[in-house]
Amino acid sequence: MNTAQAGTLESMDCLVTVSEAAPGTGVKIQIAGSSASRFRTAMEKKAAEVIASMGVKDIELSIQDNGALDIVLGARIEAAVKRLIGGGR
Amino acid sequence: MRRTMLYLPGNNPNMLTRGYLFGSDGLILDLEDAVAMVEKDTARILVQHFLRQGEFGSCEVTVRINGVDTEYWKDDLAAVVPFPALQGIRAPKVDDAKTVKIIDEELSSIEEKNGIPLGRTKIFCLLETAKGIWNAYDIATASPRVAAIIPGGEDLTADLKTSRSSEGTELDWARRMLVFAARAAGVDPIDTVFPRVSDDAGLRKETEFIKQLGFEGKSVIHPNQIPIIHNVFNPTEQEIAKALKIVAAAKEAAERGQGAVSVDGRMVDIPVVKRAEYTLLKAGLSEVK
Repeated sequence: MNTAQAGTLESMDCLVTVSEAAPGTGVKIQIAGSSASRFRTAMEKKAAEVIASMGVKDIELSIQDNGALDIVLGARIEAAVKRLIGGGR
Repeated sequence: MRRTMLYLPGNNPNMLTRGYLFGSDGLILDLEDAVAMVEKDTARILVQHFLRQGEFGSCEVTVRINGVDTEYWKDDLAAVVPFPALQGIRAPKVDDAKTVKIIDEELSSIEEKNGIPLGRTKIFCLLETAKGIWNAYDIATASPRVAAIIPGGEDLTADLKTSRSSEGTELDWARRMLVFAARAAGVDPIDTVFPRVSDDAGLRKETEFIKQLGFEGKSVIHPNQIPIIHNVFNPTEQEIAKALKIVAAAKEAAERGQGAVSVDGRMVDIPVVKRAEYTLLKAGLSEVK
């Protein structure tokens, strides 16, 4: 199974890990870290939006958060997915 | 005003988020030296998201792209130029007018594709080699997009086969040459960074020196350096009072149909008035004009 990562665990950043998923399994999002309990819904929404905007239907996504703003979360997910599509790293 | 242009590492969300709060006149979102080779892609995407949605206050926003001798520079430009928040790009290792023209053409092509007014994206050229310094005037006049030329620090020193000294002897001639070339071309001369971030006295001394040479401002690598540089570049109370007097006297003379006028026993003509107006501009009193 192909996997790719983007981001860091530095302050105000997050580490996003994405993995290929079987067709029809949909988007699965896991969130852990400092903001997870308070902002889970907003983070899931942002993640789903970015994934959808990239035309990806089936993927597993894990976010290890360290206080990333919406803008950073979006950028890290986009980077991780692009790495996955491009062959991972 | 370009008294201070602060470098922000392009892959550092913390600095990209808070950078504008430090009060510099400009920001340089860095995709080049501050970013590891293996993170060029993620930094580019992060900077792109910040240009789309980030907050920059009243800072002039630029992005330092990777050099034209790398595989990254075209992707860098394509990622950042379409966003209205971007005012210019800082191009590293500009050696000659040809490099400026190559970048100019690429910028025009991206601007055209994205329906952006042609020429909106300015170029800030980093002259980091002896050849670049030698060609400073040609570089500064290679495109109307060129807004400023900046001497390199570490790279230029290495190219000169010497080392950085606390007196900056090795950069002395390059700095003087760069100011002449920039002023002759009508672009801003902006100085290189001061690398010793905890040496406030050294920074003040160097800033006073480069201000006296004619530099417009300085590149900055640490937020703590900003107030010191502003303090040096800001006009003193005495300079402001004198400038106000000169501008008022010149205005009065113009209303009476006179050209030159005397202020405190000194003849005031157009260059003196221009300098006084510039002092007021730097003091944030430009409306006096």
